[in-house]
Amino acid sequence: MKPYSHEEHKRHAFDSFCKKVLRNEARDYYDEMKRQRDREVSFSELSAQEMDMLFVMDEYPSEKFNFSVLGHAVAIGDELIAQAIAALPDEKRDIILLAYFLDMTDGEIGAMLNLVRSTVQYKRTSSLQELKKFMEGNANE
Amino acid sequence: MSKQKSSGLLPYPVIVAATHGDVDAINAVLKHYEGYIAALSTKRLYDENGQPHLCVDEGLRRRLETKLITKILTFNAA
Repeated sequence: MKPYSHEEHKRHAFDSFCKKVLRNEARDYYDEMKRQRDREVSFSELSAQEMDMLFVMDEYPSEKFNFSVLGHAVAIGDELIAQAIAALPDEKRDIILLAYFLDMTDGEIGAMLNLVRSTVQYKRTSSLQELKKFMEGNANE
Repeated sequence: MSKQKSSGLLPYPVIVAATHGDVDAINAVLKHYEGYIAALSTKRLYDENGQPHLCVDEGLRRRLETKLITKILTFNAA
């Protein structure tokens, strides 16, 4: 058998080189696809909780409504609630803020405002009614 | 020509020119491996009735071509 000349050898080497390059690249591609398939999850399959982790909402202090009560600053994000609370008389507003935003009990509020606990309770519930009326009226407009 | 076809190999001068970046030679190489590239990028896809269809994945085909071009330039033809 006639031994290959150098050129003949190179032609074969080039051929095998090209095929190897293509084969390996195709294999890389399929491996990548497989990896992607294994890890990819469609949006519709995400639970609501996972969806919530995908974004954050910026919060700006300037977009909130600030109230201060007995030296505590209270920021309220919802516009309607803020308007309703702003419409209350001072004392009732303080009670609402202390009770629902600073999580104080009627007794604690009474001690701070020099009121009896039952008075605080009465004012608190009547304030809630006022808030309800205000917000419902607002919603009906 | 018939001898080249039977061996299925590119002529040596084309290989040398391609490794040096000659556009025509590289195109000749791509042409030569066109069929192999198409075969590698063919996928069997199933339609809604479960019927198999053979489709060439264009993305993969381009990718193989690109890879081959970049690799040709690294081949030592001397």
